Amino acid sequence: MDIVLRATLAFFFVLFVTRIVGRRELASLQPFDLILLVMIGDLVQQGVTQNDFSVTGIVLAGGTIAVLTVIVSYGSFKVPFLRPVIDGEPVIVVQDGQALESNLARNRITLGELLAAARQEGIGSLDRVEWAVLETSGRISFIEKQRD
Amino acid sequence: MAVPQGLTLKHHRDLVDRERRPIVRRVLVGLLAAILVLGLLSVFGQSVRVSAAESPAARLEVSAPSKLRGGIFFQARYRIVAVEEIANATLVLDPDWLEDITLNTVEPSPVGEASRDGRIALELGRIPAGDEHRLYLHFQVNPTALGTRSQDVDLYDGERLLLSLDRDAIVWP
Repeated sequence: MDIVLRATLAFFFVLFVTRIVGRRELASLQPFDLILLVMIGDLVQQGVTQNDFSVTGIVLAGGTIAVLTVIVSYGSFKVPFLRPVIDGEPVIVVQDGQALESNLARNRITLGELLAAARQEGIGSLDRVEWAVLETSGRISFIEKQRD
Repeated sequence: MAVPQGLTLKHHRDLVDRERRPIVRRVLVGLLAAILVLGLLSVFGQSVRVSAAESPAARLEVSAPSKLRGGIFFQARYRIVAVEEIANATLVLDPDWLEDITLNTVEPSPVGEASRDGRIALELGRIPAGDEHRLYLHFQVNPTALGTRSQDVDLYDGERLLLSLDRDAIVWP
């Protein structure tokens, strides 16, 4: 029983942390972020399984995480008001070539980072962008202007 | 210039009805930070707490963490100073000292061990007047341990109670 409770607590703690740190951190997987991700995974695992090296322990902890993932995603799918809480909502950060500074600031994204994200999509200038949207995953999607 | 499907200018650009979300996020980050500060202040263990009791015959000092967490190792030190000679010093510990807590070692080994009305009695032998006896117990908290526990310690000379020391500990999950 203990391991299921620990896995449940760890699941909701990680969900809580990923929701409060903001999308900027989720999108930027620099080498440091990758190492941090592995570190957090290791720390959480120790708290969940502790000294349990059994296959039963793997099944209970892994199964708990899997079932909770399905429940939370089903909850987000079925209950509209849960969606912003669990997944967040997109934010428009560029309209008609103009960066929306307040929306960028709110998500701690600099103009330089926005331009870098545009370059990664093969866009050299924001003048070519009709809309840019910070998605719930933390990635920025760009919709280019129609060419006449 | 149509807005991308599924988005609205009011909600996704002007962020109407979303004004309070950054405040909520800051409050939640603040709460998390507050828990970390409590951790720094040893609210969740494992700084050592020293408890002492005295009688005309002896003085007992117990140094051990009173806030523990599942899995951690810790040491308890029992320092007995005999004011008068104690012919058969016996430390009697509450069972909670060992309930869901693994005892790794006892040094120096007691002369004898017994159960005294459900409590753990460690016979230490003779302590001459003015001498000091130090007993070290090293523990590890079992991962399933949880909650508060009584860790009282009594010092006897044979069957005669010399002094009592009240202690409590809490085990965080």
